[in-house]
Amino acid sequence: MTGRALVRGGLLLAVLAAVVVLPLWVNRTQPYYLQLSINVLIFATLALSWDILARTGQLSLAHAAFYGLGAYTSVLLTTRAGLPIVAGMAAGAVVAVVAAVLLGVLTLRLRGIYFAIATLAFSETLRVITNQVRFTGAATGLVAPPLLGGHRPSQYLVILTILLALTLVSWWVNRSRWHFAFTAIRTNEEVAAVMGVDVVRFKVLAFAISALFAGITGAFYAHVFLFISPLEAYSLAVSVGALVAPIFGGLYTTAGPLVGAVVLRAGEEVLRSTVQRGYPIIYGFLLAAVILYMPGGLAGVWASLLARIPRPARRGARGEPAGS
Amino acid sequence: MLIFGVLRSGLYSLTSVGLALSVGVIGIVNFAHGEFLMLGAFLGYWLFVSYGVDPLAAIPIGAAAIFLLGGAVYRLSIRRVLRAPELNQMLLTFGLSIFLQNLAIILWTGDPRVATVSYKAEALAVGPFTMGVPQLVVFGLAMALTIGLYAVLGGTRVGKAMRAVAQNRLGASLLGIDVDRIYLLAFGLSTALAGIAGMMITLQLSVSPFIGLLYTLKAFAIMVIAGLGNINGVIYASLVLGLSEAFVEFYVPQGGGWAEGVFFFLILVVLLVRPRGLFR
Amino acid sequence: MSLLVLDTLTKSFGGLSAVDDLSLAVRAGEIFALIGPNGAGKSTTFNLISGLLAPDRGRIFFDGADITRTPPHSRAHLGVGRTFQLMQPFHDMTVRENVMVGELFGHTVPKSLPAARRDAEEICELVGLGHLLDRGVTALGLADLKRLEIARALATHPRLLLLDEVMAGLTPTEARQAVASIQGIRARGVTILLIDHVMSSIRDLAERVAVLNFGRKIAEGTFETVAHDPAVIEAYLGQDEADGSR
Repeated sequence: MTGRALVRGGLLLAVLAAVVVLPLWVNRTQPYYLQLSINVLIFATLALSWDILARTGQLSLAHAAFYGLGAYTSVLLTTRAGLPIVAGMAAGAVVAVVAAVLLGVLTLRLRGIYFAIATLAFSETLRVITNQVRFTGAATGLVAPPLLGGHRPSQYLVILTILLALTLVSWWVNRSRWHFAFTAIRTNEEVAAVMGVDVVRFKVLAFAISALFAGITGAFYAHVFLFISPLEAYSLAVSVGALVAPIFGGLYTTAGPLVGAVVLRAGEEVLRSTVQRGYPIIYGFLLAAVILYMPGGLAGVWASLLARIPRPARRGARGEPAGS
Repeated sequence: MLIFGVLRSGLYSLTSVGLALSVGVIGIVNFAHGEFLMLGAFLGYWLFVSYGVDPLAAIPIGAAAIFLLGGAVYRLSIRRVLRAPELNQMLLTFGLSIFLQNLAIILWTGDPRVATVSYKAEALAVGPFTMGVPQLVVFGLAMALTIGLYAVLGGTRVGKAMRAVAQNRLGASLLGIDVDRIYLLAFGLSTALAGIAGMMITLQLSVSPFIGLLYTLKAFAIMVIAGLGNINGVIYASLVLGLSEAFVEFYVPQGGGWAEGVFFFLILVVLLVRPRGLFR
Repeated sequence: MSLLVLDTLTKSFGGLSAVDDLSLAVRAGEIFALIGPNGAGKSTTFNLISGLLAPDRGRIFFDGADITRTPPHSRAHLGVGRTFQLMQPFHDMTVRENVMVGELFGHTVPKSLPAARRDAEEICELVGLGHLLDRGVTALGLADLKRLEIARALATHPRLLLLDEVMAGLTPTEARQAVASIQGIRARGVTILLIDHVMSSIRDLAERVAVLNFGRKIAEGTFETVAHDPAVIEAYLGQDEADGSR
């Protein structure tokens, strides 16, 4: 093993250990940080799952739809049908996947702005329906049973596991043949098809994976915060957050969305204490700033910093995002 | 119900025609379009509350102010992404809309404000129909402005230049047209139109930082129905939306809430069935 | 033995006939050229054959099988490969990775990553890109981009290769190299159907030629026959015949 790989591996292990142990340890004196960590991990999962879909060139504004579907399915099944929470969460993921496959197939021919608007319309339609129909609790929302008896440390471990699973999936996708398929589709669908890539299959698959994790995270959210309503669960803010973090951190990578999510969510906490309402202004500002001045996001900045260090030529730079 | 729908479509036309102008001439889909409307609405509100100026009378001021703002936004940001992938443009204006909306929240809080003009509740009876005076005035004004825009595009030199650029940017520049200036004017005009629409809203409805997104989306729906960039079809598409919403409001139980979702539904249906628009 | 058969293929766009009742057959192992003035429907024909467009009427047969309804990626598996006139490499990837896409997905039996990498490198060597394997595609010059297009198409191990205006913009020396490469590819058993405007190269390469005008085939035969056909000459009247010496 080379020295660099050792350093990398060590760093990763240290980060992992810190992420697992630190919040739990601090929880004994300051429960606030555990709560914050849970929020951060939820956000990170949403960001990374959105990115997976984005790798096929499908920049969706419907992420909240899958999040909300996961939440509502789980709550409805656990409160009305008496199912255990685990089953509820699994069902939430399944419903989200089915919806994603449906949406994916319907929007196959749409590109760019048309695709974005259609997905937005899908998500908002769900919100309106949920808001009107009594079965889903209409605007008043629904109360959810607590996961693992409300024991925060255990809940923290659950979301951590979900995120770790997603991270592994994302990492694997980027190292396997799927990376080639996704990138080819993202760059030029027609050329990809002519070279033998089954575009439909990969696009729908990406949708499914993305929604699976968004859905299960939605269900998790419901059973941790104990209350859901259409305004929050299907909120555009969820979709926006899920896309700003990867863009900020670096699209089409595994680390980018994660780092972006952590930085943004932590920053949001700081802002929330100073600016009571309207703190999402920072998201708008960052999004505009990144597009204008930092198209590669943090990962791009990191890569250009690394590039200044002379080293033997290896494989070409991968994963250039929208700004190139 | 018909009248209701038709009157409403006037305002929709005005809102959407600006967006269609921006898409058609510059080629950029401005996600922040509704925020300019919202800013215009707030401007109208503050002018009324502070100086007693009727929002309608203040329209020229508001239009000029928003036009300048739009121009500044274009110069500072939009111009830079014109050559970039469409996705970047979309994300930029999206970020801009989030920025402006939250700026308004910070400055003016999220509470809705209502401007009560003296003639707000007056109604006019024409034959068997009663129409609210403000609605009627707004409709008339909106339609006049929309048709006025068509006249400008068709008749004046600037208008023709805009149409030339819309059709063929390279060709237009070869003919000596300063494309960047046309873009600036078109963008400023499109935001100004939105601002005017906003001031009209001050007249009839409540003003809050959240109305921006709603109107942006409705303008999208109308543009999608008319066909992206199709400026002429906007009036018909607005009628479609206005009438559909009125229909749902009147004939569907608890229609008020459902009507909010009509345009989403229309977007989905049109995009899935006839993505090129109904009125090409 | 006809490898590719087009049977009364028709495709219109909003009232305009792009391809009108086109029938032709390409024999296995030959080099067949499709020529005609701009807008004659040649690119549309390629899009129909590769599956990016569906015909309004007519059928396409490949090696005896009806592929009219087969999706593009399956046609690639069957052995239909093509290059694109407006070169569109995958710009986020290196040269090697671009070719690997074809190796990974162009066959019915999926290849492993290491095998695909090896085979991609081999093909790059073959077309003369061996020294550019790790280069990002945005840095490539015109001739190299064309080589990449061909390499990518070859990566799917096609039996029929559709070449879309590969000669455009090449210097005479480069054009001669390209002709030699194409003949080399044919020598390895690949049937070639090409579109081009550079008449000198077509004369050197093509065994048979078909001429399209306004979507219809107006002549077919050897280059000499077709070049002297009055209908063909008339179709090109007003066309800058200096096309051949670009």
